[in-house]
Amino acid sequence: MTSVLAVSDLRKTFGGITAVDSVSFEVRDGEILGIIGPNGSGKSTLFNCVLGQLRPTAGEVRIDGKPTTGMRPCDLNRLGVSRTFQLLQVFPQLSVRDNLILAGQEHQGSMASRLFGRSDAGLGGAAEKMIEFFRLSHLADEQAGSLSYGQQKLLDAAMAFMAGPRLVLLDEPAGGVNLTMLGSLRERLQAYHAERKATFVVIEHQMEFVMALCTRVLVLAEGRIIAEGAPHDIRRNPLVIEAYLGH
Amino acid sequence: MASFIQLLVSGLATGAIYALIAVGFTLLWQTSQTINFAQGEFVMLPAFFVLAAMNAGAPFWLAALIGIAFSIVILGLLFKVVIVDPMLKYGVLPLVISTIALSLFLKESAKDFYSSQAQPFPALVPPTDVQIFEAVVSTQSLVVLAIAILTVVALNLLLNKTRVGRQMQATAQNPTLARILGIPVRLMVLYTFLLNAVLVAIASILVSPIYLAKFTNGETLGMAAFIAAIIGGFNQVRGAILGGVILGVLDNLSAAYISSQYRGAFPLIILIIVILFRPQGLLGRLEERTV
Amino acid sequence: MTRMGAIIVGLAAIAAIAAPFFLKPFGIFLISTWAVLTIAAIGLNLTLGYAGQISLAQGAFVGIGAYTVALLTPLGVPFFIAFFAAGLLCFAVGWLLGYPALRVQHHYLAFVTLAFTTLVFLVLRNEEWLTNGIYGITGTPRPTLLGWKTTAARDFYFLCLGVLAVLSFAIWWMLRSPWGRAFVALRENPIRALSLGLDTRRYTLMAFAIGSSLGGLSGALHAPLVQFIEPNSFALGLSFNLLLMVIVGGSGYFFGPFVGALIAVLLPEWLRITQGYYLLLYAAAIMVLMAFCPSGVLGLVERARIALVGRRKEPATSTLAEGAGP
Repeated sequence: MTSVLAVSDLRKTFGGITAVDSVSFEVRDGEILGIIGPNGSGKSTLFNCVLGQLRPTAGEVRIDGKPTTGMRPCDLNRLGVSRTFQLLQVFPQLSVRDNLILAGQEHQGSMASRLFGRSDAGLGGAAEKMIEFFRLSHLADEQAGSLSYGQQKLLDAAMAFMAGPRLVLLDEPAGGVNLTMLGSLRERLQAYHAERKATFVVIEHQMEFVMALCTRVLVLAEGRIIAEGAPHDIRRNPLVIEAYLGH
Repeated sequence: MASFIQLLVSGLATGAIYALIAVGFTLLWQTSQTINFAQGEFVMLPAFFVLAAMNAGAPFWLAALIGIAFSIVILGLLFKVVIVDPMLKYGVLPLVISTIALSLFLKESAKDFYSSQAQPFPALVPPTDVQIFEAVVSTQSLVVLAIAILTVVALNLLLNKTRVGRQMQATAQNPTLARILGIPVRLMVLYTFLLNAVLVAIASILVSPIYLAKFTNGETLGMAAFIAAIIGGFNQVRGAILGGVILGVLDNLSAAYISSQYRGAFPLIILIIVILFRPQGLLGRLEERTV
Repeated sequence: MTRMGAIIVGLAAIAAIAAPFFLKPFGIFLISTWAVLTIAAIGLNLTLGYAGQISLAQGAFVGIGAYTVALLTPLGVPFFIAFFAAGLLCFAVGWLLGYPALRVQHHYLAFVTLAFTTLVFLVLRNEEWLTNGIYGITGTPRPTLLGWKTTAARDFYFLCLGVLAVLSFAIWWMLRSPWGRAFVALRENPIRALSLGLDTRRYTLMAFAIGSSLGGLSGALHAPLVQFIEPNSFALGLSFNLLLMVIVGGSGYFFGPFVGALIAVLLPEWLRITQGYYLLLYAAAIMVLMAFCPSGVLGLVERARIALVGRRKEPATSTLAEGAGP
């Protein structure tokens, strides 16, 4: 069975610095894979290489067996791959509802049909459902820029899910979110995962979040994978502890 | 063969001047994301400073120095402080528009406050010729070439062998990293602007004897700078030099073999070809964006 | 749009329709020029204000449109066919020009369009067998539409106004559609837009091609308006003017081009007192404007409105979403 995401010998160098050093791993259908590691271990660079934001120096990325190395992010998205961002990336001037419609509209018909069709590209209903799912109903018409940080994080996730992706890469979803929101966020992510049988890959710093959400964990340090396994095993792995303490 | 050598030498001379202008342009872009659309006018203007100084009675060599000094203050310092700095917070687009307006402003200023007629500009050496192999080459071209090469060499030494120069390069390549390393980034950026002012002033003095000092000079020279920078690879200083030289040589060769009506079209066609087939230029690398 | 805004637009529309009845022929010529320039400015606004690209070729596209009509109508081609041909031709050229230029970042389109404008000028000037070179083309006739002759100044003005209205509506429709949302995304956050499947390159290219075709349509009206066209009118100066029009009006605002074109048409009249320094002052004014309010006149208006009326109320800070527990 082909894995949803397969990364082989991925390398990324910037001038003299090797940010990602021959990383290989596979993500199975339905998994929630966590990627952790100290600052500067290459997690974000890895993500950006998988997602087409950066061109890898060497190595290969396959989605459902199809080679996608260096593909543009928009083409990857059409294949069913979606992401959230570490630094908030909603569209502040648009309303919450418009943000969601935008997130899904490029998957509705062709560019031409969208010009002559409905103003909401037929996504009004789907956007409503997503707003309810993430409990943002009372904010639906507010400008996204006026939401609180935690609410924007929820919106960010909602946008990533709008097009019904089968693989979602979440870049530090818990970063900067307060405890009450965090529980809410995790619960919504798990609900989506259960409902849609999607596959997640999550970069995170917050251990508790990772332990509670992920089914398997990879540990990156200095661009290399140093450990892999179930969350509670990873926690006690001496290599991992050293990697974190050493920084 | 003889005429070819002539064309080659004059082409190299023109190319070296283009290189100076293109290097300044590239440096500004690298260090401060400033696309200076007024670069051509920056080359047009110092000649008028020099002429004004001469009109006030200064001998040529002194006027030239005064011209360079004025250039440093106005096209370097004032440009940065009055125009670029306040605009940076708005992003690249408003700044580009501002420099487009600036180019118009400088052009009209030269026309209104000095003259709309082309002004003769003193040559650096008396117009004599020299024989190289069988070709007759003007000493003017050779001197221009020599000075331009000297300037480029000096520039290289400055950027690569001095501490300040290396700091400037670091700032150009990665300002955030440079700041972390303790480099006074703002000062380095200022130096870049001042350096550009010096380069355009030298280019102005070299080019004006040939083109005459005209307020419209900026259009062709600016275009040459942009094309040279793009040919070389937008974000590479070495590329700008290479691009300038190539452009100068090709331009001169084409002048001999293409109808004069379409003379100005040749560099433009080169630009379009480069953009079509090798947009990153000869020495550039395809850039990427991160989140 | 706010209610106040709607009222102002309504009044302006009434003024636009009533004006020719109160103006002498030169005045009617001015407002016709305004209408025609606004079309080109709307196109450039699409490229610059919505897709964030600098085009220095809009003047060249106006020229291509003008020469297309000026050359086709004497051959017996009905005006509106020539009109559409002008638009289509400029769309195609815009696409061809933008496709390679937009593959790279660094605002390459600005340089490519700069080069293109110069090339177009050279061709218009040199290919005398086609364009009559510097002697230009005179006497492009004003069309007759279903029996309505537009030869008189006032009638032709209404034709221009009508075309402006139709094109404005078309652009408004486009901006209301998902395309409009895509342009906002393109402008605000292209990286996020890409990750959501939005092909930023294609939308930018579209905006540029459509913008260029509007330049062509503007030129198609320009030829019968002035009835004498020559290469110099379409050189870099016009492209600069159009660019400044869009900026001064307010780039990215729907009505920016209307305001910008009005200022550009009236300004030379106002600045006649400055006797030839007017370009200098215009350029200086642009730099000042960019430093204080890069979003132009309409940007200033919006700022004033916010200062006087205050921002909309902040949304309720405590929310159900935040309070919802695990």
